[in-house]
Amino acid sequence: MSISETIQSIGFMTDLRESALVFPIMLTTHLSCIAVFGGMILMTDLRLLGLAMTGRSVTDVVGQFRIWKRVGFCIMVTMGAMLAGSEAVKYSANPFFWGKMTLLVLMGVHALVFRGSVYNNTAEIDRLPAIPTRAKVAASLSLALWFGLVCMGRLIGYYEAPQEKAAVSQQVTVAAHVPR
Amino acid sequence: MFLADANPLNASELIFPALECIHIAGFALSVGTIAIVDFRLLGLGMRHQTAAEIAKDLGPWTLFGLAIMLFSGPLLFSSDPDMYYLNRSFQVKMVLLALAIVFNYTIRRKTALSGASPLRSRLVACISIALWVGVVFGGIFIAFVGQFV
Repeated sequence: MSISETIQSIGFMTDLRESALVFPIMLTTHLSCIAVFGGMILMTDLRLLGLAMTGRSVTDVVGQFRIWKRVGFCIMVTMGAMLAGSEAVKYSANPFFWGKMTLLVLMGVHALVFRGSVYNNTAEIDRLPAIPTRAKVAASLSLALWFGLVCMGRLIGYYEAPQEKAAVSQQVTVAAHVPR
Repeated sequence: MFLADANPLNASELIFPALECIHIAGFALSVGTIAIVDFRLLGLGMRHQTAAEIAKDLGPWTLFGLAIMLFSGPLLFSSDPDMYYLNRSFQVKMVLLALAIVFNYTIRRKTALSGASPLRSRLVACISIALWVGVVFGGIFIAFVGQFV
């Protein structure tokens, strides 16, 4: 058995896949988290770009959203891992899934790269007369990664594996040859 | 009149998913900013500012997100109006969306801006969150509803 088959054969993963109700409920949770916590990422980025919440200090915005972004990230990743795990065979053959995973890794790299100079350095940013370019670059990259993740996530549902496509066209061909 | 076959949105396989991505981004912006105010009303976060301050800060972005959502949504609808119109989940979503928007700009707005009592604030925030989660639920279930009805 391949790894992906093993993953989706785990008891509750199978239950998840076979339940008509749980899968959409988890999708709803996943998407609601995108709104709530993705929304906070958006507002943090827009603050760093000097576009939103300009009356509040960067420290206030980054600091107050931080805990919630972490909580949201955990829920979102848990939901996502379970959704992907329950259909591991399908997902592992899906290029958009791997695109999304790549962007997630890049998001981690982004956090590591800009942590010291931007996100943990807000007091310094607030002291400066203008928001430094580095912070604006961090925010712009974060926005691009964020939108890329949403797009990849959505496109996962549109990918048809080659054999599925072949099977469908075969059925169509067979159907077309049925004598009327 | 928009007929599904004559609709230019159906000319390419990519337009629908691309619009969906924009729809989700607009939804994250609008519902995300609404949720931030709701969190404050619940007393859960952003406590350095009052709910009124946050609501004023985020108001324009909520509106911007709503505009994106209400622009892309009807375009998505137009790709297959018959299917959506008859889809029970879509009908529920539209009712909840109307309720959520009206609630947002009447009772919730007043509550956030006037500094209401904690109990009232919390109640309003819970209703707001429930309505928006309901809208998401309705949206997701459009694709699943055939399995139940």
